Amino acid sequence: MDDSSAIQRCRSGDKEAFRHLVESYQAEAIGHAISILGNTEDALDAVQEAFIDAYQALPRFDPARRFYPWFYIILRHRCYKLAAGRKKREMSSTDEPVMLELTTSNRPEETMSLEQALLELKDEDRELITLRHLDGLSYEELAERLDVPMGTIMSRLHNARKRLREKLTRHSFTNSPGVKQ
Amino acid sequence: MTELNCESVCMAAMALADGYEPEISRDQIEAHLANCPACREEVGQLRSLATLLGKQQRRQSVESIWPAIKTRLPQAREQGKSSTMFPFIFLGVLLAGYKLVELAPDRDFGLLFKLAPIIFIVAAFSLLKQNPFEINSELKLEGE
Repeated sequence: MDDSSAIQRCRSGDKEAFRHLVESYQAEAIGHAISILGNTEDALDAVQEAFIDAYQALPRFDPARRFYPWFYIILRHRCYKLAAGRKKREMSSTDEPVMLELTTSNRPEETMSLEQALLELKDEDRELITLRHLDGLSYEELAERLDVPMGTIMSRLHNARKRLREKLTRHSFTNSPGVKQ
Repeated sequence: MTELNCESVCMAAMALADGYEPEISRDQIEAHLANCPACREEVGQLRSLATLLGKQQRRQSVESIWPAIKTRLPQAREQGKSSTMFPFIFLGVLLAGYKLVELAPDRDFGLLFKLAPIIFIVAAFSLLKQNPFEINSELKLEGE
């Protein structure tokens, strides 16, 4: 089943068809929610709420659009609402990264330092950097997702990367020639 | 025309590395970098950071959230309709009640009473955390 036929069936009241959408995009959505919220528990709550919101909003979905970019707007709204409602971030355990994958091609201490530095950034900076560098979104795609002009993406991304570099140099990962000050 | 200073050149150099064509041309960026060691170092560091980020992979979640969502779907659409409409129905009833009181003959309730509808509307939108004059993604989403 493809997305458009699943959406069509959902609109006709077939709730099981919504399963296709949830199972197709849940991993991606959880990853994006973790990037904004910085921990898995809040991210799972936000993603569940966002899928419920999406289900309610499906009758207004424009079939000419792709599902996930439309859903992402709902998801980030849910994430920022949750972030605004909580008093203080529950920082994730430092033993294991929640956002980045430990791979054999990367040094674990590099990945851990980067993850910690990312978690110390503002939610908006972390969202932008991860969308650009982990998902490889272009400036045009970022502008569409975040609903801001491309010039704004350029300046926000530049400032976010500078802040990340500062956080990284304050962390243990100071051996890299690229991020030394 | 973008002013050519160190900050804007560094920003443009990074944008160029990201595949975006900034207002400052590649030649201008390269000429500035050739003559400005501070910018060369700044851009070098930021490019290294971009390379480091580019080597990372997003952690893939294996959680299945369908069972939790499935149990909430039967009520979701009806709840969505009523919860979205309720504040506006309440506001409508309140304003209608106000109008009925206002129609009472030979009564002058003063300035505060005359301002009451505005206060109701401002209070309602403040509680809903919505700005009716703002065009944003949330409103766009509702209108789709």
